[in-house]
Amino acid sequence: MNSANPASPRSTPQPGGPRSSRKHTPKVNTQGLYQRAIKDAFVKLNPKQMSKNPVMFLVWVGTIITFLVTIEPNLFGSTQGQNPRVFNGLITLILFSTVVFANFAEAVAEGRGKAQADALRSTKSDTIARKILPDGATAEVSSTTLHQGDQVKVIAGDIIPADGEVIAGVASVDESAITGESAPVLKETGSDVASSVTGGTRIISDELTIRITSDPGKGFIDRMIALVEGAERAKTPNEIALTVLLAVLTLVFLFVIATLSPIANYVNSPVSVAVLIALLVALIPTSIGGLLSAIGIACMDRVSQFNVIATSGRAVEVCGDVNTLVLDKTGTITLGNRLAEEFIPVNGHSMEDIANVALAASVFDDTPEGKSIVRLAEKLGASVDFDRTGAEGIEFSAKTRMSGTNLPNGREVRKGAVDAIKGFVAIA
Amino acid sequence: MLQGFFQIALTLLILVAIAPLFGRYIARVFLGEKTLLEPIIMPVEGAIYALAGIRAKEDMTGWQYAQALLYTNLVMGIFGYLLIMFQGVLPLNPTKLNAPTWHLGLHTIISFLTNTDQQHYSGETTISYLTQIAGLAFLMFTSAATGLAVGIAFIRGLTGRPLGNYYVDLTRSITRILLPISIISALLLLILGVPQTFAPPATVTTLEGATQYIARGPIAAFESIKLLGENGGGFFGVNSAHPFENPNGGTNLIETLAMLCIPAALIYTYGVFANNKKQAWLLFWMVFTIFIILVGVTAIGEYQGNEIINSILGVEQSNLEGKEVRFGWAETALWAVATTGTMCGAVNGMHDSLMPTGGFSTLFNLFLQIVWGGQGTGTAYLFIYLILTVFLTGLMVGRTPEFLSRKIEKREIVLASVVLLVHPIFVLIPSAIALAFPDTLAGISNPGFHGVSQVVYEYTSAAANNGSGFEGLDDNTLWWNLSTIVSLLGGRYIPIIAILLLADSMAQKQPVPETAGTLRTDSLLFTGVTAGVILILGVLTFFPVLALGPLAEAFQINSSQQSVVSNQPVELLISKTQQPDKDLHLLQPNLKANS
Repeated sequence: MNSANPASPRSTPQPGGPRSSRKHTPKVNTQGLYQRAIKDAFVKLNPKQMSKNPVMFLVWVGTIITFLVTIEPNLFGSTQGQNPRVFNGLITLILFSTVVFANFAEAVAEGRGKAQADALRSTKSDTIARKILPDGATAEVSSTTLHQGDQVKVIAGDIIPADGEVIAGVASVDESAITGESAPVLKETGSDVASSVTGGTRIISDELTIRITSDPGKGFIDRMIALVEGAERAKTPNEIALTVLLAVLTLVFLFVIATLSPIANYVNSPVSVAVLIALLVALIPTSIGGLLSAIGIACMDRVSQFNVIATSGRAVEVCGDVNTLVLDKTGTITLGNRLAEEFIPVNGHSMEDIANVALAASVFDDTPEGKSIVRLAEKLGASVDFDRTGAEGIEFSAKTRMSGTNLPNGREVRKGAVDAIKGFVAIA
Repeated sequence: MLQGFFQIALTLLILVAIAPLFGRYIARVFLGEKTLLEPIIMPVEGAIYALAGIRAKEDMTGWQYAQALLYTNLVMGIFGYLLIMFQGVLPLNPTKLNAPTWHLGLHTIISFLTNTDQQHYSGETTISYLTQIAGLAFLMFTSAATGLAVGIAFIRGLTGRPLGNYYVDLTRSITRILLPISIISALLLLILGVPQTFAPPATVTTLEGATQYIARGPIAAFESIKLLGENGGGFFGVNSAHPFENPNGGTNLIETLAMLCIPAALIYTYGVFANNKKQAWLLFWMVFTIFIILVGVTAIGEYQGNEIINSILGVEQSNLEGKEVRFGWAETALWAVATTGTMCGAVNGMHDSLMPTGGFSTLFNLFLQIVWGGQGTGTAYLFIYLILTVFLTGLMVGRTPEFLSRKIEKREIVLASVVLLVHPIFVLIPSAIALAFPDTLAGISNPGFHGVSQVVYEYTSAAANNGSGFEGLDDNTLWWNLSTIVSLLGGRYIPIIAILLLADSMAQKQPVPETAGTLRTDSLLFTGVTAGVILILGVLTFFPVLALGPLAEAFQINSSQQSVVSNQPVELLISKTQQPDKDLHLLQPNLKANS
């Protein structure tokens, strides 16, 4: 059920305000995030989970050892110094909080990811599909319950519930949401390209029988949700390389500390186990090791805040490497519709004038473009100051290249191609 | 004082002047361009290739290059070992020397094979003339050429060229670089008074009527490649402190420059290969700055002398213990930093007698391995640090790291990490073992912090393929010979294999076009960050050891000095004052120095 959200301009609420201020991402619910993260930070102390991160695992093992020498300071041979228990206890405390804070950071990042995913999930439109039952009857089911091999019937005006293959019928389908191509595409059975349909596109005429070819939960929104949740997060190439470097550094310092003890014994200043562990934790790349997974999840979160759909962790990394952005004229994930953004008055006319005239010209235009002009004009305070029933809408045609309205008082309002309008004004 | 610093400044000025000239020449040789020596060398090389059956133009992959290198080294090692073990029956042995013990012979050959030249013996009482010239001097040429070939192959790989052919690179390094310069410098040394003879030791009767033997031999030829090839194995036990190896200030200047010239020039060679002289100069000045700082620290320490001795004697004098008076504190300090920085390992004064600041600088050099660095390999290490810096900074700016338009990925990081990992392993682990059983194994002459320095220095010198000795160790024993062999081999061949594979994988990468967003590696800022990464990655590992060795010793001297001043009894006997035998080293040539 590859249901791309903006199925059709007619059914989608159009965004308002300048583009820069629009935020498509739904509000993330962060309530209770920190309480859960604190709890998770302790749950993650489970050695099984800790061992996934070698650097922090080492710190965790160190914490346990210092805890043991806090209870029995002479565990690894006698030690000097006053109050070794207090000293070891303090080190234990510091190491323990290091581990817990690393877990906490990861838990917060994961929590934010989950909240983001929940928000995304709520935007998934749940279309009703007419599933063809084995006995030939149709039943209305939710598109999320469709599985590969199911057959559905779609008729003009429906949104195709999932990716599939046409097995019967001929129909034109509006694929602008996916391909950006505004002209409807003819779909029929038998041919390669023309027989496959994509979930989220809209059938405009006639009807089709479709065999579903994808299972639920494989659509791109689902993939995105899985990514921000961190569930399907594979390590990126740079992350792997960095992990190698960190592991090597940790190993080097492990050798350093292991060999320090006999050398220090030789000069008669033995170093206690707690001090060795503290030194080890200070030398190994603890902070970066502890925060690495949190950074990865945070990046995903961050990218989705900018309305960028990252299909993998690798893609986030690639974002940093982008030098040149090449755009197809329509793009693939655009609405494929033109929208009015602002009016530019010329020749000393006021914004109000132009808004009123634009509204009058577009009031019968029910293309997405016309509707957006109406919306913008209304936002600027324009209103229809004539009797709608008396007015006559002039359709756009390829010959005149203009459309508009003939007002009841005889005025003719037009909009269209620049030279067509020039000619129109000259005649008038 | 002024004279001392003037000597240092003059030497470095000449170095800065000749490094680019040498660098350009080396680049021409390995880019296959015509040089002045072409008409003489072409037929010689042609004959060598024909005899050895080498097809000159065949490029090798990284692994093939490494294999060729390892097999060649193995054959040369076996040849050298047979020569030294049968020297008793071979000619050119006027003093009738017999074979050394099997482990000393093995250690000596492996040490010369790996360009280390760590000596657990004194040349004049152990090695015949034939072994000196046909065995050790031969290995000095080939080991230096091996290092140079690896460095050039690495530069080729980084700049996207095929790695080249090992046999051709090895031959060219010798015929076009090492041999011509060696001949010139040997002649200069000869003119300045270094002997070159096959005659047996001279016998003289002293004024007291006693008979004294004065060792001599074919020294001038041996000496020039010893320094030029960063080998450092002395003809005599006391190495370049011996008046026959290094008789005066003139020879000292030539020998210091011979040590520094190739490693310094190779950075410029990289600039020619990469067509980026700006980066080459930035790196040159970066290394130069670290070098100057270390020379400064050492020279000031030596100039000020030992405060305890000065306060007891009531005079202000520089530390002249273990030094040749004809060189003084300045030339010895410069030499000590240069010889450890370039992995040469020849000494013109005893490093054991340096002040703790000198001990710190020399150890620091051996840990970093890039303050000029060894023949060829030092430059490779420098670029490995650069690659790691590119990786770290690249991640910070959020881009896939690239160096010279090639992406740094997991494989490169793994190989670079291997190089990083090897050094501490082969230094720290044997040091820890030796110090854990000091009574049975170490044979340390100065217990305490100075003893730590001695042991750590011995293994660092082996693993870094330097070969100089901190001395004071009774090191011709089965334990020291065999344990240092492990460090010698591990510190030499594992990094070389990693370097060659790294070069190969860089060469095979598809170059990505450079854009405005590419992190530029030839900026001052990046070079500064590189210096920081080098210091952090290179030194942090060894800091605990430095703290327990030279740093602790320095604090000890300071605190004892204060107690002397306040007329408190000196509780701690300073290791420095416990070495009455050190000065005797210089009077008794058959005591070993470069162990």
